[in-house]
Amino acid sequence: MTALLTKEVDRERTEEVRSPSPLRHRLSKLDNRVSPYLFVAPFFVLFGAVGLFPLLYTAYVSLFDWDLGADDPKFLGLENYRTLFTDGQFWNALFNTFSIFLLSSVPQVITAVVLAALLAANLRGRTAWRMGVLLPYVASLVALTIIFGNLFGPQFGLVNTVLTTVGIPPIDWQANTFGSHVAIASMVNWRWTGYNALIVLAAMLAIPRDLYEAAVVDGAGPVRQFFSITLPMLKPTLIFVIVTSTIGGLQIFTEPKLYDPSAGSGGGAEHQYQTVVLYLYQSAFQQLDLGYASAIAWTLFLIVIAVAGLNFWLTRRAVR
Amino acid sequence: MKRPSFVVYGVLAAFVLGSAFPFYWSYLVASRDNSVLTGDLTLVPGGNFFANAARVFDTIPFWKGLGNSFIVSGTVTASVVLLSTLAGFAFAKLRFRGRGVLFLFVVATLAVPTQLGIIPLYMAMAEFGWAGELEAVIVPNLVTAFGVFWMRQYLIDTVPDELVEAARMDGCSLWRAFWHVALPAARPAAAMLGVFTFMQSWNDFLWPLIVLTPDNPTLQAALEKLQSGYYVDYSLVLAGTTLATIPVLIVFLVLGRQIVAGVMQGAVKG
Amino acid sequence: MRPRRLISVLACAAMSAVTVTACGSGGATNQTADGKTELTVATFNEFGYEDLFKEYEASHPDIKITQRKAGQASPHHQNLFTKLGAGSGLADVEAIEEGYLSQVMSKSSQFNDLKEIGPNVDNRWLKWKTDAATTKDGKLIGYGTDIGPLAMCYRKDLFEKAGLPSDPEAVKSLFATWDSYFAAGDQFIAKSGGVAWFDNAAQIFNAMHNQHEVGYFDKSDKLVVESNPKIRGDWDAVTKAVAKGQSAKLVAWSNEWNTGFKTGAFATKTCPSWMLGVIEAQAGAENAGKWAVTEAFPNGGGNWGGSYLTVPKQSKNAKKAAELAAWLTAPEQQIKAFKAKGTFPSQVKALEDPALLEQTNAYFGGVKAGALFAAQAKKVAAAQYKGPEDGQIQENVFSPALQSVEQGKNTDEAWKTAVQEAQKAAK
Repeated sequence: MTALLTKEVDRERTEEVRSPSPLRHRLSKLDNRVSPYLFVAPFFVLFGAVGLFPLLYTAYVSLFDWDLGADDPKFLGLENYRTLFTDGQFWNALFNTFSIFLLSSVPQVITAVVLAALLAANLRGRTAWRMGVLLPYVASLVALTIIFGNLFGPQFGLVNTVLTTVGIPPIDWQANTFGSHVAIASMVNWRWTGYNALIVLAAMLAIPRDLYEAAVVDGAGPVRQFFSITLPMLKPTLIFVIVTSTIGGLQIFTEPKLYDPSAGSGGGAEHQYQTVVLYLYQSAFQQLDLGYASAIAWTLFLIVIAVAGLNFWLTRRAVR
Repeated sequence: MKRPSFVVYGVLAAFVLGSAFPFYWSYLVASRDNSVLTGDLTLVPGGNFFANAARVFDTIPFWKGLGNSFIVSGTVTASVVLLSTLAGFAFAKLRFRGRGVLFLFVVATLAVPTQLGIIPLYMAMAEFGWAGELEAVIVPNLVTAFGVFWMRQYLIDTVPDELVEAARMDGCSLWRAFWHVALPAARPAAAMLGVFTFMQSWNDFLWPLIVLTPDNPTLQAALEKLQSGYYVDYSLVLAGTTLATIPVLIVFLVLGRQIVAGVMQGAVKG
Repeated sequence: MRPRRLISVLACAAMSAVTVTACGSGGATNQTADGKTELTVATFNEFGYEDLFKEYEASHPDIKITQRKAGQASPHHQNLFTKLGAGSGLADVEAIEEGYLSQVMSKSSQFNDLKEIGPNVDNRWLKWKTDAATTKDGKLIGYGTDIGPLAMCYRKDLFEKAGLPSDPEAVKSLFATWDSYFAAGDQFIAKSGGVAWFDNAAQIFNAMHNQHEVGYFDKSDKLVVESNPKIRGDWDAVTKAVAKGQSAKLVAWSNEWNTGFKTGAFATKTCPSWMLGVIEAQAGAENAGKWAVTEAFPNGGGNWGGSYLTVPKQSKNAKKAAELAAWLTAPEQQIKAFKAKGTFPSQVKALEDPALLEQTNAYFGGVKAGALFAAQAKKVAAAQYKGPEDGQIQENVFSPALQSVEQGKNTDEAWKTAVQEAQKAAK
């Protein structure tokens, strides 16, 4: 690739020698100043067109007693937010969200890095292995609902059958708060570990080989190599994985929704596993209380930014 | 490079088997009937798959949905990969005023909960005259914060600053520097972003269901119609999802090769 | 300026800043190329309308009908509420399922009064069916399509084993009242060897609850959960039965519930007409001949399920849409839909149609199911008044609360939680 690049650059150079002009210089300065903005412009234009409006709309609606489809909503100011902070169901949902988030993200990121290290090896049939771990990403949600329902069914579930045969009393994976979080986290981990592993793998394979060769010369074993070369070189990607899985984890919705056997969004008989987004969804599409749902959405948005920012900062400090 | 030991293969095999099981199981149900779901545990496929597949073709506009899904996912993937790499390159390698703030803004947009967004998004699409049109499914997804963030993180260490500088010294425009320096280096990550984007777009369900009409659906939106009735016939539903997965698996394999090829190049680069 | 208008103007301004689309130009036309009026009809599940649409188009050459058909009720109604909130995009005729009716009735200003714009259709339906879709000030929001009259299904073989009568005539006395129902349950579980009496508490409670004239709300939309002694009475009766072991504790529609039909985990099931097909499919061929249904239901009758056709205010052809909806819900058409897809009609005349009365069900021992459920439909007393959050309270407050009792929560505490959550939902 480098050779190819040099050839390109060479061709450019000959062109420039042929026509050195002040105009060209000015153009280049303009290019320097303007092009970066043009490169990032598509994202911002699109966000302005389709992303910004929902965000502002939600902020606006959150200030009203806005029933879906109502003609004349009443202005409330920050009343929805005040209600939210005294709403036990919201705090419960926040607790559940963080609990499921910790149970899923922490093992997931660690497993993903290990899995990536395994996949980086000189395997026979590399493509098949790498794509194999990504399969859960395309699995049909209908199939998952049934399979996980059958695994964690409180009465006829496979996990409980196994537990009973080895002499452990069965767990009510629905009624038990911690049990339900474990079950949902296992569903999350199943779906997303391979995906994160591939992201880490891409970065791992981009680490220059000579760094390792130098380390071998210095007598570093594979474990030392991993901690003193691989991990530091993965830093930008690990920041990415940790920030995106923080955001995804705190917005968790699909898995707890599928886990509810009644297919509702209450998250269990006593909201044992109702997450913040499930509560948001319930408020919006079952209570039809758009104002309150919007207040939940904005509050969650701010919480996610705060936690993702914190994790970003921690990761940057921890991995050097 | 030496071959890894059988332990590595064993661990990976366990992972892949666990990952592949739902696909096998879907095929299992699709090739038999619903009784698999209520206790008749078996792992041997039956002979009903083609009959169930034929019912899928009779019940929903499968080919129309397939065509639309390819148009939507293909366009979205091409656009996301190109535009995200472009923006990611700018954020990683170019110096410009407001870079840090703008980048933080991009990442912050990831934190917007989308569940509530569908009502205002529908209003916007109706305003643009795109309700019921494929544009409504394509345009909002043409470039993603996820893609920009990822490409930036990948490129920041993968492309040495000197390489970009050298290209500039030689009079390359920034666009050419992107095209000849950043894009080749980004290939493995870009291919993977392509795989992710394609699959996500392919499996997107609720928004296409709401904004498109049943006579012009994407495949996933069309498949919803298989779950009709008080009693869901899962052998039919899972025959549908199995058929819908085949094209993704093909894309998977094609792009998967790309990833491996690209990665090998990247590794040689040194 | 109303906030809704303001936001729309703001939105448009914001979006025009970055795009070149002109505002207010959106929205589909309702004229096809050959000058016909296009009517869209949004349904879910199977309404059996495919052939009827062709028939209507043949007799009305100026109309073209487009069907938007969803598979399940849940995405259909999510779609409905999204477009209600967005202010555009609804079909000319929107189907509403009974479980979502109270939410729709609370938004009645978004729907046309069919008495005003539709043809005269007085006394077409069973009174309770029409009453449920009529607002307090007398507007008719939806035309009834089908219903789900309740009877009792039971396992003949398990009844015999436990020493109960098993003949459809003889079991009627067990199902005469809720008291006799729970008493029979006690008798049954004493000898059943672990088999439960019913599938779950919520299904029983909801059936009991919907028989009362006043439910969770009184007619002035005041929540009366605490002051209506009947609600607490039902609660106590059901939770007592749960404590004795009458409930199989299987959440309706879950995988385990489906499996429960096959393994025979419970002996009775509150049975709307459409449940016969569910039982046949779930219990499967190996349980053929074990299930029976009888023309009885504790304390009279009841209804679970069925739908309405509405015409949203968004429709640009409301009058023609109402005309189509009225035609579709006429007895003659509903009998055709019944023949096509088995939807049980809600029209008085249709309930006397020989095609319905002669219908039999082989899985349930050749019983004359059509006649049986027609008789049950007529036993339903007046429609209970439903407050705006009624569906929400049934689905998301009382059903989960009863489930928590089944999971071992103290009954009084669960009741307190339910009352609190109901108050919160109704706020």
